[in-house]
Amino acid sequence: MPVNQEISEATIHKFIKTSVGDVFKTMLGVDAVLVKGTEQAADEPWPPLHAAREGASPHVVGTVGFIGDANGLIYLYLDLPFARRCTCHLLGMSDAELDEAGDEAINDAIAEVTNMSVGGFKNALCDYGYPCKLTIPSILRGSSFCIEPISSATRHIYHFDCGGHRVVADILMKFGD
Amino acid sequence: MRYKILTVDDSKTVRIIVKKAFKGYDCEILEAGNGVEGLAVASKETPDIILLDVTMPVMDGVEMLTKLKSDATLKGIPVMMLTAEGGRDHVLKIAKIGVRDYLVKPFKEDVLIEKVGRVIDLKPLSEAPSKTKSIFDPAELLVVEDKPAIIQQITEGLKHTPWKVHGVATQGEAIDFCTRTPPDLVMVSLSLPEETAFTLFRLLRTNVKTKYTPIFALVVKTETTQQQQAQTVGFSALVTKPIDVGDLETKIAKAMNLDTSQRYYAIEAETLIMRLPENCGPTVLAEAANYLKPKFADAVDAGHNKVVIDIHLLKSLHMGVIKLLFQAMQNCRDLGLQFALVGNPQIVAECKGFEDTRGWNFFDSVDEARASLGKVPQAEQLAST
Repeated sequence: MPVNQEISEATIHKFIKTSVGDVFKTMLGVDAVLVKGTEQAADEPWPPLHAAREGASPHVVGTVGFIGDANGLIYLYLDLPFARRCTCHLLGMSDAELDEAGDEAINDAIAEVTNMSVGGFKNALCDYGYPCKLTIPSILRGSSFCIEPISSATRHIYHFDCGGHRVVADILMKFGD
Repeated sequence: MRYKILTVDDSKTVRIIVKKAFKGYDCEILEAGNGVEGLAVASKETPDIILLDVTMPVMDGVEMLTKLKSDATLKGIPVMMLTAEGGRDHVLKIAKIGVRDYLVKPFKEDVLIEKVGRVIDLKPLSEAPSKTKSIFDPAELLVVEDKPAIIQQITEGLKHTPWKVHGVATQGEAIDFCTRTPPDLVMVSLSLPEETAFTLFRLLRTNVKTKYTPIFALVVKTETTQQQQAQTVGFSALVTKPIDVGDLETKIAKAMNLDTSQRYYAIEAETLIMRLPENCGPTVLAEAANYLKPKFADAVDAGHNKVVIDIHLLKSLHMGVIKLLFQAMQNCRDLGLQFALVGNPQIVAECKGFEDTRGWNFFDSVDEARASLGKVPQAEQLAST
């Protein structure tokens, strides 16, 4: 498949829905239901989860990239209470134990959730004819920030409902030279 | 032997998940955050299996695997990839270097345990290693039988025990049950269609959670070929139909290695009570005899000096019972314990028919017997023996 050919929205939609759904179901025991794809998300305020608004509640954003025949980055936005809940579930910790473990535990857990989600997406790309590799995850935390893509990247945004919590996958992909 | 599992992953979260997954098993989890650390730990500790991530800083999993396989002392260690890198081509490339298995994240802890259990002989940790389970402790029993009447019979027959009987009719239901809540014992009917019982037996034995669970075969008494086949395959015990529930209960207790002494011995009101049940077959007598010396010694150690031997439930006397009672009385003499007997009219009458037992004196109740021990001189009690 030509490297510089853009992958369709429908394909990306299918890949991200499956990968996020699998990770949240298998590792966290939560159904991640895709409620808004890129087109429907256009009327949503951006950045997601009101992260950039004054006085917004803190958010944890995991990032993992993929490089190869397809290049891109996926940001996974979680509000802090849900990030804490996911961490407790993954590590088998109580809230008190998590308080003791500190932010590092949350960062590491959300980085891993993002790594697995992006891993699933990337594996689907590989099997689709776009071999690529994962990068090492990183975490962005804050209560007022905005991530903007460069002009040559295409952006796809998907909103998931996870038991009442909103999780947003923001996919930035670059095709061609 | 305690197995060592090395998890090599830059994510502390994954290392914690791995640790958590194997918490209930007798194994040691070693950790490394990248390939360099992984090789160092592998050289020093020689783990029994390595769970290896691919994408890591410093040295990734592919490089570590390549170095491991080119090291004569380390190449024999089985490696299982545990990674988010799961594209077909990627998996094939890594598989060529030499891995035992490949597990793509996200993964269920059960699946990880099952896969590791295929490589090393994982043994579940006993929940309370210092305390032996007794017949009064609850247990979950699974009966796999397509005839509801049999499940009903077992449930009814064991309802006086603290054991909970769960009945399922098919292999699929049995596997689902065992995955959800591994039972303490499984009974499988050999009359299930085709070779279901034997297939299920093999599946349970290959699952790390049920590898050591006792599995009984339920088989019709006259089906000797099936019985031989079950013994050859390795079923823990045979239970023949029609089912003798008393015998089944004894077999279950034995298979689960339960302390059954409380069936026969108890301390009540500062007195050791030795109590024989209604039917004293060879298994019951052997069990009671087995605990006799230690239980009497325990009573003495705890400061008790009175024993009531209660056989009022017994239907009839026979040589096995007489021998056991002589043994108990001899023990009392050896330890300087006072004792008294409790019987029923039938037993008292039967005792008059034997030379050796003719002089035995019985009380009608444990209370009477216990009350007598304070007053009657020991020599007088023993005169008839």
